[in-house]
Amino acid sequence: MTAVAPHFDAVIHPPPRLQVCGLLAAVDTMDFATVRDAVGVSDSVLSKHVKQLEEAGYVRVSKATRASRLRTSLALTKAGRAAFDAHVAELRRITGV
Amino acid sequence: MDPTRWRGVDVESDGMPDRTTAEEQLAALQADRTAVAERVVQPWWYDALLGLLIAGFLASYSLRSTWVTLGALVLFLLGMRGLVALYTRLTGLWVNGFRAGPTRRAIHVWLVLYAVVLGAAATAEYLLDVRGAMAVGGAVIGVGLALISRWWTRIHVAELRGQP
Repeated sequence: MTAVAPHFDAVIHPPPRLQVCGLLAAVDTMDFATVRDAVGVSDSVLSKHVKQLEEAGYVRVSKATRASRLRTSLALTKAGRAAFDAHVAELRRITGV
Repeated sequence: MDPTRWRGVDVESDGMPDRTTAEEQLAALQADRTAVAERVVQPWWYDALLGLLIAGFLASYSLRSTWVTLGALVLFLLGMRGLVALYTRLTGLWVNGFRAGPTRRAIHVWLVLYAVVLGAAATAEYLLDVRGAMAVGGAVIGVGLALISRWWTRIHVAELRGQP
């Protein structure tokens, strides 16, 4: 396994965005509603954070209609996964792990 | 998943976290991964349906009708699509089975099983003219896929319960 260079990322750092990235890092895609429930914020607050992650190129938002319902799913991009891994490596460096 | 585990984690600072905050954030991230690990486990009947779909498709070769096999292929593809939609609806997430990581072990075993059993069944059915060999091979592959799918999930859950 290649070691990840620690790097503090100001976009990922705020807890809601760090939590969103942590959830998405564990899967390929996660429904917006599932992320919202896990983070414990409203749709609008999550949308704001997702927008910032999307603008940074870290998160991809997909919309699809299933059973006549519009479902929004979120995924980390390759750049987002790399940035999250580097940020977690930085947290580990700070803690001395 | 319990959002309250993030309460108390520094929410104001935009700068570099101190050691305590970093420790809290790492612990909260790990707790979230553990919660995802509980969520990703599919019900047993999901694996049974997965095994049935592939077994049914492969068994159709024993009928030696192109139209039956084409029909079985359409059913198989629709069934797979339905299973993906069902899993996503049940769990709210999707994980690619061919993802990198420890779960590749299970995929390698699956590919070997598939190649060996399919090769043997096809040889028996078409070269040795043993009628029903593909149906038997399909059943073996179906049961194998169902069991390997459970194993894959166990590996994935163990991975999620490790470090973030």
